[in-house]
This record gives sequence, structure tokens and C-alpha cells, in this order.
Amino acid sequence: MFDLTNLSVHFGPATALREASLTIRPGDRLGIVGESGSGKSMLALCLMGMAPEAATLSGTLTIDGRDMADATERDWQALRARRVAMIFQEPMAALNPLSRVGDTVMDPLRLHLGLSKQAARARALDLFAEVGIPDPEARLRQFPHELSGGQRQRVLIALALACDPDLLIADEPTTALDANVALRITDLLVRLSAERNMALLFISHDLAAVARATSDIAVMYGGDIVERGPTRAVLDSPAHPYTRGLLGARPSATALPRDAKGKRARLPTIPGTVPGMADLPKGCRFAGRCPVELPRCASERPAVTKPGPDRSAICHVPSKEALA
Amino acid sequence: MAYFLFRRTLGFVLTLLAVSVVVFAVMNILPGDPALTILGLDATEDALAALREQLGLNDPLLSRYFSWIGNALTGDFGISHSFRVPVSELIAERLPMTLSLAVAGMIFTVILALIMGIGAAANHRKAGDWGVMFLSQLGIAVPAFWLSMLLVLLFAVKLRWLPPGGFPGWSDPIAAMRALILPTVALGLVQSSVLARVTRSSALEVMRQDFIRTARATGFSRQRVLWRHVLPNALVPIVTIVGMQFAALVTGTIVIENVFYLPGLGRLIFQSIANRDLPTVQALVMLFAAIVVTANFIVDLLYVVIDPRLKARA
Amino acid sequence: MKRLPVNLLIGAALVLLVIGAAALSLIWTPHDYTEMNIRGKFGPPSELHWLGTDQLGRDVVSQLMAAARNSMAVALAAVLIGGSIGTALGLLASAIGGWVEDLVMRIADIGFAFPALLFAIMLAAVFGPSLTNAILAISFINIPVFARVARASANQIWTREYVTAAQAAGLTRAAISRDHILPNIAAPIIVQATIEFAVAILAEAALSYLGLGAQPPAPSWGRMLSEAQTLMYLAPQLAIYPGLCIVTAVLGFGLLGDGLRDVTDPRLVRER
Repeated sequence: MFDLTNLSVHFGPATALREASLTIRPGDRLGIVGESGSGKSMLALCLMGMAPEAATLSGTLTIDGRDMADATERDWQALRARRVAMIFQEPMAALNPLSRVGDTVMDPLRLHLGLSKQAARARALDLFAEVGIPDPEARLRQFPHELSGGQRQRVLIALALACDPDLLIADEPTTALDANVALRITDLLVRLSAERNMALLFISHDLAAVARATSDIAVMYGGDIVERGPTRAVLDSPAHPYTRGLLGARPSATALPRDAKGKRARLPTIPGTVPGMADLPKGCRFAGRCPVELPRCASERPAVTKPGPDRSAICHVPSKEALA
Repeated sequence: MAYFLFRRTLGFVLTLLAVSVVVFAVMNILPGDPALTILGLDATEDALAALREQLGLNDPLLSRYFSWIGNALTGDFGISHSFRVPVSELIAERLPMTLSLAVAGMIFTVILALIMGIGAAANHRKAGDWGVMFLSQLGIAVPAFWLSMLLVLLFAVKLRWLPPGGFPGWSDPIAAMRALILPTVALGLVQSSVLARVTRSSALEVMRQDFIRTARATGFSRQRVLWRHVLPNALVPIVTIVGMQFAALVTGTIVIENVFYLPGLGRLIFQSIANRDLPTVQALVMLFAAIVVTANFIVDLLYVVIDPRLKARA
Repeated sequence: MKRLPVNLLIGAALVLLVIGAAALSLIWTPHDYTEMNIRGKFGPPSELHWLGTDQLGRDVVSQLMAAARNSMAVALAAVLIGGSIGTALGLLASAIGGWVEDLVMRIADIGFAFPALLFAIMLAAVFGPSLTNAILAISFINIPVFARVARASANQIWTREYVTAAQAAGLTRAAISRDHILPNIAAPIIVQATIEFAVAILAEAALSYLGLGAQPPAPSWGRMLSEAQTLMYLAPQLAIYPGLCIVTAVLGFGLLGDGLRDVTDPRLVRER
């Protein structure tokens, strides 16, 4: 069980993550959505004990009841791969180009689990088969540049699964992939999570993928978790103006309305851009871009509201429909 | 792959030929009359004529070039005018000295540079990093021959731990190795400054890449990530520089041998200049240039071994 | 205004120091650097002789200053000769392209097979050792270096729109090279020249040390060191000062070159 309480990450005066609280239990499938710079990757790195050295952390992070505040790099090394594993956005860049993918996957098996070369090889073959890599025997001997993007991502998933982790963090796992490959990878992650009773933290800015992959969702903006709840409920009736904006900005499957000249209307976007970490407003981070902003929003941090069962939002003016 | 090998080998052979043309031209056309250069202005006409005959100077230039190159390929570099023995014998006698110095210098360079460079990268923006950067900046500016003198001053003159120069021969291996320590350090320190900087920046470049994060996320220790993932990927630029440096080290031996009075090819070249022994100088310059070209050729081939991605393209 | 990089400032300060000493030596040195005084040999530092005297009683400071002049002159000549020929070849290769470009670059590759030392050895064997030969040898190795830099930079400029416009306006390739290409590759050429200046100072010192450069009594840091080497047991201090001068000069031009590159080439904002 992974438990974050009021976890904050600062870089000098700048805030990358503000008082984030989350609990992840075995088998949970939690999605985190937000734009780049919202703090979602920082949250993931904290769970891996891989926050940049320049960062200062406060709040508590416990893993299976153990407080990780004074954990050393060595302690974290013992947890990585075995308890928590991670896959990344760019499957090409995330694999050592000079190492055969078989060796890459066998490395942790031999080093962490102490398997012999033959045993590690057999296990790697099983893993490749489990993640749906065709002809695993031949693939083991190939280099990353010889595989397709989807296959590379499957290799990375196999690598992450190697030591049977309790939690798999997938940071934008489908962003760099073709749409149909992305769908299959998403489904693979869901299936693996269910079969292994492994928690899945699915980080993405792609709402469709998150909706497909997760049962719960956390929406992040400017280092804050602005809204939380069951995926279905949050996406159906978003309480936070930012979530509503995200949903509005999503290219939908149905065609956009055409105007009189036959041009497609532009995608609705959230006005303005995400401010830099150092320039965020003190109160609600979304102040300045928010369509329903009150005068106090920029200076006063909103309290947590409960728009529904198992739901929370940090907003002075949460949507009435959601509250109803 | 075969085409790649063929192209590179052809380029290598053509470069060697071009180099030999340059060496031949400088040594045979520039002097006007090599016999006069060798014997000096007060030589008798008979002596000059005899030497011209012996050197084959009466033949047309082109046939002289081809006979020089043809003979050189069979290991015949002519007769040394001053030592009165075949140049090939002189080379065979002194090549081991030069090669052992160059190889020792290379090993010292690579080991020191990898430790310093990778260490600096691993401690990026910390004291160790700054220290390595400062020392290497200084090292690049220090002439090898002056560094040699400082080493001699400290370890031979002041502390008397090591001999200031000379070479006792390999019959006493301990004494021979002791005699090689200071020359090796002097030869290698400067080059390792360059290589350490290349290693550091190359390693930093690799450390920014995603697969290093993957490796860390897989729970490997920093040390293991460094040597198993960072170093191999940082090697391509390192190998380029090492190839160029081997060339620099081999020519560097010319200087170092003269500082430490080591009986290698570098000493021989200077004795030959003093003796106006043109055939020997010509052979030695060609040999050194050939080593430089060969080192670069080997580097070209090594890329393919190191990086499987190039194999596909090659 | 961005802050100037530290290496540029330190480099510029060291370079000014060395050039200043060299320039000053043209009009004033504490003593005549050739003036011998056998009774005053190996003198310790004193008010009269700041760094003492050498084996012939000559003033060390005066010799070092005169040697700085020699070092700067040799490096300047070598970089000017090699730099202009190399840059011209690079511009030519880039302007004409095709087999001419290939040929020039092949020849440049061959040039890389000859370190300055080998070339100086050949010239010394043929003509006898002299400072002129040393300058020629150092110039020669600069040609391929500058040819490469000039060609690579020029090739980038040739693709710019204003060059296409000039071509459309009917300007010859020679005129474009002169009016548009050369001014725009000046920055990388100057950076390279600064770095090659440092290399040339090192090369001159090494060649003079080996007896292939400055001949006695011409002043040279390298030659002072070769004389000091035979006296190392007697007067180790004489082996120190000229080396420090070489390091100062080489470090200065090297840092200045790096700093100039950092300032002029925004693409290369490198980690340091």
C-alpha cells in the first residue's frame, strides 16, 4: 500500500507539487491527468524515490506502513522493480540502444532475483509472451532499433513486470504510439493489473486513454490535485472548472460543428497558458485562467469540497450539477 | 557491411599512398640535390656522383618513387647513410622501445581519463566535477616536455625515487619498468586531460537520456548504471578521440624520447636529422604518418563494433 | 545584457598579460636579454634581477619577455598563413561543391596525417633547423583545420535565403563568397583562430625545445627550457619560469577561444 499525505516538492521558491494526498491499494487503477508541468510526473518520480536532487520534499510518503522520509538511495534501490516499477513515454529512448532487449530484461532477473542465466532467460521468454510479444525467442536477441514502437513499449512493460511489482507507474505510456497501438497497450496494462492484482498508476493527458484504463482519477493542475473521484463520475459531471475545461478541450470522436463557410469550428481551448512553477498564484493555481473566478481565488486557497460519494475538489465555486 | 569495409579500406590505402607522395615530394624535390644536402657543400664531385648513383638519383623521379614505395612494402627502406646498415634494421631495433612507450601511455591515458571523466559526470556540479574540469583545463595547457622536466625534478632530482632518463633494456624488467614510469606519465597526462573532458561531456549527454532513468527505475545502483549503461553509450565519441590520441601519443614519443634519452625511433629521427641522413628520416616520417593513418582507420572500423545501429546502416 | 562567461574573462586577462609583456619588450625590458655577466651567473632573485639570472648571467625576466614576443609573432604568423589559405580553400570548396569540394576535403584529411612535428622534421632534415621552418610547419597543419571549419560554416550560409536572393540577382559565386559568406563565417573562424593560436604557441615551444625552431641566441621559452634541462641539478628554478609562461599563454588563448565560442554560438550552450 502506497500512502501520500500532504506531499510537497519545492525547487527553491518554486513549487512543483503542493500537499498532494493519495492512497494506492493493491489492484487499484488510478489515472492522473493534467497538462505538462502540472506535477503528475513529479508525483510519479516521488513514488520511485527518483525526485531530482535539487528538489526538497515535505509531507509523508509511506510504503506498506514504512515512512520513506529518511530512506537512503540504497533503500529505494531495494524497492524499485520489486515493489514499484515504472514505464516511460518514449519507448525508443527508454531502452539502452546498445543492449539486446533480452539482456535488458534479464538484467534485473539475475541481479535482483538471483536467477541463473538459463532461468532468467526462461522467465524473460514467459514475460515476453505475457505482454504479447510475438516470437519471443527471436526478439530476445534483437536490439531496440530493430523493434517497432509498440513492441518496444511491450519490452519496457515486460522489464517493469520482471520482479513482480505491487505498483506499476505508467507515465504517458501511449503518447508516442499510433492510436490503435496505444489502445492495445492500454488494454494490456488493464489486463495485467487485473491478472496480477497489481496497482496501476496511469499518467496521461489523454482523457480517452485514462477513461479506458482506470477506475479512479486525479486531475492535476499547477502542482495541485484539483479534483479526485471515480473516473466515470468525474468525467460525467466534472466539479472543478479546470476539469470542465479539459473535457471541453478534448477532441471528441464526433465531428466538430461546421460554421457557415463549412470550416470546422476550432477546438475549444482553455484560455491562457500554464504559468511557470515560480509564477503560480498563491491561492487556487487555476486563478487567472478560470472562467468562474472570484476575487479571492488568486489569494485564498479553496477548502476541499465533496461533490459526490468518494469525490473531492479544491475549488471555491465547484459546479452545482456535480454537487447536486 | 562488405561494401562498407571495402570503401573504408580503399580510402585507407589511397590516403596512405597520398601521404607517401607528400613525404617523397618534400624529401626529394624540395632539397634540389639530396646528395648535396647529405654530403654538404664541401663534398667532392666524385663523392657526390657516387652517392647519387647509390641513392638512384639518376633515375627519373617517378621511377624513384615507385621503387621506394615498392621496396618499402617489402620492408626495404634503403641503407642508412650515417649508420651504414639497412634502415629496416634500425627500425626493428628501436620500434619496441617506441611502441612500449606509446602503448603504456595509451593505457595510462585511457584508465585515468575514464575514471576522471566518469567520476566527474557522476558528481556533476559538485566539487569532484569542478576539480577534474580545472585540472584537465590546466593539463591541456601544459607542454608534455615541460611536464617531463617537472616530473624529473621532483621524482628523480629531489626525491631520487626514479631514474631521470635512459633505458637499461628489458633484460632487467624491473629497472626497465621503472625507467618507463615517468615517460609514460608525462606522455599520458596531457592526453588524458583531453580525453577526460570528452568522457565527461559524453557521459553527461548519455545520463540525460531516458534509458538511464529506466535503468534507475529498475533498481540498479548508480555504480552499475554508470558502468553498464552510461559508459558503453558514451564510448563512440571517446573512441574517436582515443584514435586521434594514439596518433598524438605516437608522435609524442618523439618528444618524450628526447627528453628522457630513450633509444627509440624518436631519438633515431633526431640523430638522423643531425647526420643529414635523408633516407632514414624519410622512412621514419613515413612510418609515423602511416601509424597515424592506420589508427584513424581502425577507429572507423571500431565504431561498427561498438554501435549495432551503425552495422545496419553500414 | 547577458553576463560574459568566466572562461572568457579569465582567458582575456591572461592573453592581455602575455601580449602586454610581448609588446612592452619591443620598447623596454629590465635588461638587454642578451647581455651576459659570467660572474653574476645563477643569480638569485634580486631588485636588479627580479627572477635572477641564468647560466650566462643573463636576466631571466628580460629573456622571458623577449621570448613572449617571439612566441606571439610565430603564432600570429602561423595562424595568419594557415588560416587564410585554409579559409580560402574551405570557401572555394563550399562555393563550387561537387568533386572540387570532395577533393579539397580529401586533401585536408591527408593533411591531418601530418602533425606539425613530422612536417618540421622533414623541413629540418632538408633545409636545416630554423624558426622559419617551424612557422611553415605550424602554418601547414593549420590549413586543413581552417578548411574544414570554413567549409562546414559556409555550407550552412549557402542555404540561407539572402544567398539564394543574391544568386537570383546574378552575382557570381566568387562575389557571393566574398560579400555574403565570408562575413557570416567570421565568428567561427575567429574562434578557431584563437584556439589554434594556443596550439601554435605549444607547437613553437616544443619545436624550439627540440632544436627545430628558434636558434640561439633568439629568445624562446622552449629553447630556454632545453638549456635549463642540462642544468636541472644546478639551477632547477630555470626550468620553472619559461614553462609557467607557456602554460599562461596557452591557457589564456584556450579559455578565450572557448569563451568566444560560448558567446558567439548560441546552439552550443554546453554543460559545464
